[in-house]
Amino acid sequence: MKPTRPVLPKEFVAVRKRRRIMDAIAELSAEQGYEATKIGDIVRRAGVARKTLYDNFEGKEEVFLAAIDSALQEALVRVEEACAEAEGDWPAHVEAGLTALLAHLAEHPSEARMCMIDALSATPASGARYDDAVHRFVELMRRHAPQDTGLPPTIEETLVGGVAWILNGQIRRGEVEQAPDLLPQLLEFVVSPYRGVGKSAS
Amino acid sequence: MERLPRGRHGLSPEFVARNQRERLIAGLTEALFEVGYQKTTVSLIGQRAAVSKSDFYKHFESKDECFYAAYEAAVERVRERVAGACAASTEGSWAIRVREGIVALVMLFAADPALASITLVEGLRAGPGVYDRYQTAVDSFVPYVRDGAPKAPDGGTVPAATDEAVVGGIASLLGRRVLAGEAERLEELLPDVLEFALSPYIGASEARRIVSAG
Repeated sequence: MKPTRPVLPKEFVAVRKRRRIMDAIAELSAEQGYEATKIGDIVRRAGVARKTLYDNFEGKEEVFLAAIDSALQEALVRVEEACAEAEGDWPAHVEAGLTALLAHLAEHPSEARMCMIDALSATPASGARYDDAVHRFVELMRRHAPQDTGLPPTIEETLVGGVAWILNGQIRRGEVEQAPDLLPQLLEFVVSPYRGVGKSAS
Repeated sequence: MERLPRGRHGLSPEFVARNQRERLIAGLTEALFEVGYQKTTVSLIGQRAAVSKSDFYKHFESKDECFYAAYEAAVERVRERVAGACAASTEGSWAIRVREGIVALVMLFAADPALASITLVEGLRAGPGVYDRYQTAVDSFVPYVRDGAPKAPDGGTVPAATDEAVVGGIASLLGRRVLAGEAERLEELLPDVLEFALSPYIGASEARRIVSAG
């Protein structure tokens, strides 16, 4: 008699396997870089057959891009939700959004490194994903920021770029788990240009 | 960069070698700007520099080695320009010194898109080996902002991360524009960049005064 195993729906298993493949490339590229990561490493780490990977993805780059897309989407949704739920003035929204972002990075160190460091130089398409992500954070900030402040029209871009740079350094130093400690400094950096100008405009 | 005369020219071998090396660096920087890192081959660099492939390998082990040398040279040019502008305004306040440094930085990039591209764009994207250099280069500009910076306008202390975030934020904005092919128009961003850099330290209204007085 065959040993009985719990029977899971096929779609569920397929989704899980896809997820494991994407998680594997995030871990491996964080550990050894994208370039050095081979298909063999990915399927071994994910515990799936090589065929399963190729049934789901065209190749390494497609796995990488899918993993980046998924990680960025998760981070963005989390930040957007935190901003949407925040009550009070603009600084309260920034605080909620930043808190969510920093917590998310600290909880997902491999994805953080993959999206903020490896993506930049791995392939032209992954570099474009990074640019797109920066752009989406800029847009998010524009939707929440006070209007008619008289601040430079590029202010959100420089602020997002500045925050990204600080986080970048934190990740590169291997201290992403301590990212939440940066909250007071980053909050002050983001909010300070709006101080005063928002009030005088309203 | 001018190529040297052919044949007997009485130039010392050291001079010829240095000139070749500089031409290769200039050739790579140009090629990079036009076709990007992937398509910049050793042959293309050699063509641009009018240096043979075998002479290329006398100077550099690989395209990457040439790239690193070009990157360092580019950053050095930027740093010299910024340091010069800051030093020239020793009479002025911290804010005026920073303003002069940023004006010099942005004008240099606007006048030389290939230089802007290698320092701001390719440094981030050409691979892990360069990325470290990009990080070091950006960090090396932090003291220009940090040294002598005043307390925050409300009397509080400006957080340490602000110095780095200001420099990183400027690099990010300029890099995004260069990537979009708008290097020549960087000058238009000057008022924005200056206000962004100065406001955390002296407040928005004082920052605007300093910017428009420049």
